[in-house]
Amino acid sequence: MSNQKKRNFQIEAFKHRVVVDPKYAEKTWSILEHAIHEIYNHNASGLSFEELYRNAYNMVLHKFGEKLYSGLVATMTAHLKEISKSIEAAQGDLFLEELNRKWNDHNKALQMIRDILMYMDRTYIPNTHKTPVHELGLNLWRDNVIHSSKIQSRLLSMLLELVHRERTGEVIDRGLMRNIIKMLMDLGSSVYQEDFEKPFLEVSAEFYMGESQKFIECCDCGDYLKKADLRLNEEIERVTHYLDVKSEVKITNVVEKEMIANHMMRLVHMENSGLVNMLLDDKYEDLGRMYNLFRRVPNGLSTIRDVMTSHLREIGKQLVTDAEKLRDPVEFVQRLLDEKDKYDSIISQAFSNDKTFQNALNSSFEYFINLNNRSPEFISLYVDDKLRKGLKGVSEEDVEIILDKVMMLFRYLQEKDVFEKYYKQHLAKRLLSGKTVSDDAERSLIVKLKTECGYQFTSKLEGMFTDMKTSQDTMQGFYASHPELTDGPTLVVQVLTTGSWPTQPSITCNLPAEMSALCEKFRSYYLGTHTGRRLSWQTNMGTADIKATFGKGQKHELNVSTYQMCVLMLFNNADRLSYKEVEQATGIPASDLKRCLQSMACVKGKNVLRKEPMSKDIGEDDAFFVNDKFTSKFYKVKIGTVVAQKESEPEKQETRQRVEEDRKPQIEAAIVRIMKSRRVLDHNNIIAEVTKQLQSRFLANPTEIKKRIESLIERDFLERDNNDRKLYRYLA
Amino acid sequence: MDQLDNDKKELVERFMYIAGEGEKVAIEYLNLCDWDVEASIDYFYDTPVLVDDALLEELYNRYKDPNIDMISVDGITLLCNDLEVDPQDIIMLVISWHMNASTMCEYSKMEFLQGLQELSVDTVEKFRDKISYIRSELNDENKFHDIYNFAFSWAKEKGQKSMALNTAIGMWRLLFAEKKCHLLDHWCQFLQTRHNKAISRDTWSQLLEFFNKVDTGLENYDAEGAWPYLIDEFVEYLNENGINHSKMVAH
Repeated sequence: MSNQKKRNFQIEAFKHRVVVDPKYAEKTWSILEHAIHEIYNHNASGLSFEELYRNAYNMVLHKFGEKLYSGLVATMTAHLKEISKSIEAAQGDLFLEELNRKWNDHNKALQMIRDILMYMDRTYIPNTHKTPVHELGLNLWRDNVIHSSKIQSRLLSMLLELVHRERTGEVIDRGLMRNIIKMLMDLGSSVYQEDFEKPFLEVSAEFYMGESQKFIECCDCGDYLKKADLRLNEEIERVTHYLDVKSEVKITNVVEKEMIANHMMRLVHMENSGLVNMLLDDKYEDLGRMYNLFRRVPNGLSTIRDVMTSHLREIGKQLVTDAEKLRDPVEFVQRLLDEKDKYDSIISQAFSNDKTFQNALNSSFEYFINLNNRSPEFISLYVDDKLRKGLKGVSEEDVEIILDKVMMLFRYLQEKDVFEKYYKQHLAKRLLSGKTVSDDAERSLIVKLKTECGYQFTSKLEGMFTDMKTSQDTMQGFYASHPELTDGPTLVVQVLTTGSWPTQPSITCNLPAEMSALCEKFRSYYLGTHTGRRLSWQTNMGTADIKATFGKGQKHELNVSTYQMCVLMLFNNADRLSYKEVEQATGIPASDLKRCLQSMACVKGKNVLRKEPMSKDIGEDDAFFVNDKFTSKFYKVKIGTVVAQKESEPEKQETRQRVEEDRKPQIEAAIVRIMKSRRVLDHNNIIAEVTKQLQSRFLANPTEIKKRIESLIERDFLERDNNDRKLYRYLA
Repeated sequence: MDQLDNDKKELVERFMYIAGEGEKVAIEYLNLCDWDVEASIDYFYDTPVLVDDALLEELYNRYKDPNIDMISVDGITLLCNDLEVDPQDIIMLVISWHMNASTMCEYSKMEFLQGLQELSVDTVEKFRDKISYIRSELNDENKFHDIYNFAFSWAKEKGQKSMALNTAIGMWRLLFAEKKCHLLDHWCQFLQTRHNKAISRDTWSQLLEFFNKVDTGLENYDAEGAWPYLIDEFVEYLNENGINHSKMVAH
């Protein structure tokens, strides 16, 4: 045997023998290309989806994806160029319709093409990071149709033209607009923005700039705002109908800026029709419209608020400094309340109860009410008037409403302690003359004051009510234990606890014999049951009812003050009395006596006395007689009244002085309180803290505080620090 | 001292200032130490000057009131004579300060003795010798501050909290006589026309601060500073009368 050659077995890779005929790719492609043509020519019905899909599939599978893709691009591009030309050829208004139609066609075609080429979409394209078919179709449309030089600008100007026409009142084809706009949106937000939205906003700005200029020249504020409102709503509506929803805020910003922001000041200050006029005339609708429009722009609301505030302060200031209006305190306060009501209404009806406006209202009122330092007195007089007669016949709920309004004014006062002083005086007069309309109303107000200011404010006031009640019981007890007195003159005594009632100097006068005996009986009765107390008669505060018979037999019942009674009773024993005799017999102080005599001798209808000479003033040498010819329509004649009145200048000064005096211990107490807890504190901080602590009662004067500090240093409550003279130290 | 030449005079003054002693004592010690100031001072401090209690007692008895155990007006007048000073001289205030006297025109025994102890004198000669030193204490700012505040309790009426206006004005003129205080006259005038009431301790002590701290032009017067109300009113008064305007213009 010969040498056998060893043969190496070469194992080769199994080669899948697929016949990939380059011509095959070409052939497949032309089938697909043809299909695309047919699709674009609306002949798709004759095609077999399954076959085409398979062809595309095969191409991709056999690595001819590139060819397929680029072929697609080329074919589609070519078609789109054709389409572009046909659109360009469209005339006038038909341009958009043609564009729309072709766009629809393209979309349908694209859909089908995408379906056919789905395998490529899913495999080849992701691998090669190429643009997917659908997107590709859109991009090609964009590049070849929309951005074609002949179409791009024409499209834009047509769209803008239509918007303009609609703005000028024409009716346009909104459906068409919507479709075109949607097309742009589908092509991508940058296309929508660059090819439509941006220019649209620019053109709109110009339009509204012109529009606003035109209107502002010829319209008044209210009308202008109506128009602005209309336009704004129109734009919003436009967006919902055929624009991208994201455009809404952009276009409304344009309108707001052009129509409102740019003309804000001019509108607000417009003569005869601006904000102030609207406020004065309660134009709720216009004001509401202004509010709603202005809130859309920066500083809109603050502009309204500022103008309202300065207007309010102005009229408020006029109101409180107008001497005419100040003559009747009750009317003055009523006007304040009316003004407040008016603005409350405006704020709730037109300014949607905006809290910042409410605050502006409050601060304005606080500002001007305190400009007049008689405000506390006047408010108390208003309350007095209401509680005395104004609330007669008013329902309980309405009473509460009025009292609440008074409380609201009270809160604005800086000098609440002045109010307290006057309120006390007026309340005392009401209680003592029995002239209060409703006990419940009185008590209700006290409760409100207590809630607002705390217990100390009202404890004395409540004491006054208690005294009244106690006095009633005392009188019952008195008459019960002295049955023999029921035939004589009836005595009604109000026993007032000194601390609770406003202080009055107690001047006694000489009472007629019948009365003084009775009063003595009462005194011993009272002191019998209340040892350790002292009673002093306040003859300047009492009243009396006396029956009088005049010369011709006329009988009248006279309601007089105690002083007046003393004078009249003298004439039971004398026909003629000189001034001096009267003065001596009654012991009434001169100024009071003169007033008393004047009220009985010189006032028509109340002249129960006759005076010689007949002058108005009371002279030392005058003589008095009973006026036998006195007549009156009424049986009961009221001569002396202790009604609360606006104080005269000197009285006012006195009251203010008392208030200032009362403040001193309060300031000192505050200083001591603060220093006790802080131990060491510097000057400026003490002033600040004291002011804060006292602010619910009054505004403390820094100079006064300083004086009090010095007084406390003097009395060794405080000392200055040795090293820092601005520092104070509490001395335990 | 006039017989000494200028160098020696200077040394004597230095010694007086440092040791707080009178001229005679100064010369004595300097002589002892050959006019070496340092040495004489050391020597001085090493040998404490003791006062003789017996001598002090003798001195007290010289001035004491015959009826009560204290020195009253007559005694003080005698003392002033001995010291060769006017009873109205401000130096009496400084001496009273050393004694911590509670009120003007009288010294208790305790006060007298303790005061002289502090001054280290037990004879009239020594006392007289120390007068110029005592007078110079007014120039020391701290001491002046103490003396000034002491003056309030001393010069006011016993038992009163505040000082009568006239007394206060008198004291101020006395205290500030050497100090060239521009505003003093205006202050006194202001008080007499506008205030006319007694002066509180706080106002008294704060006035010194005011004169020290605030320029005559009042430029650095701080209205928010915790100056007593009376001083605020004074500044207003000055402004109203245009008193400090000249200074303002120069600024």
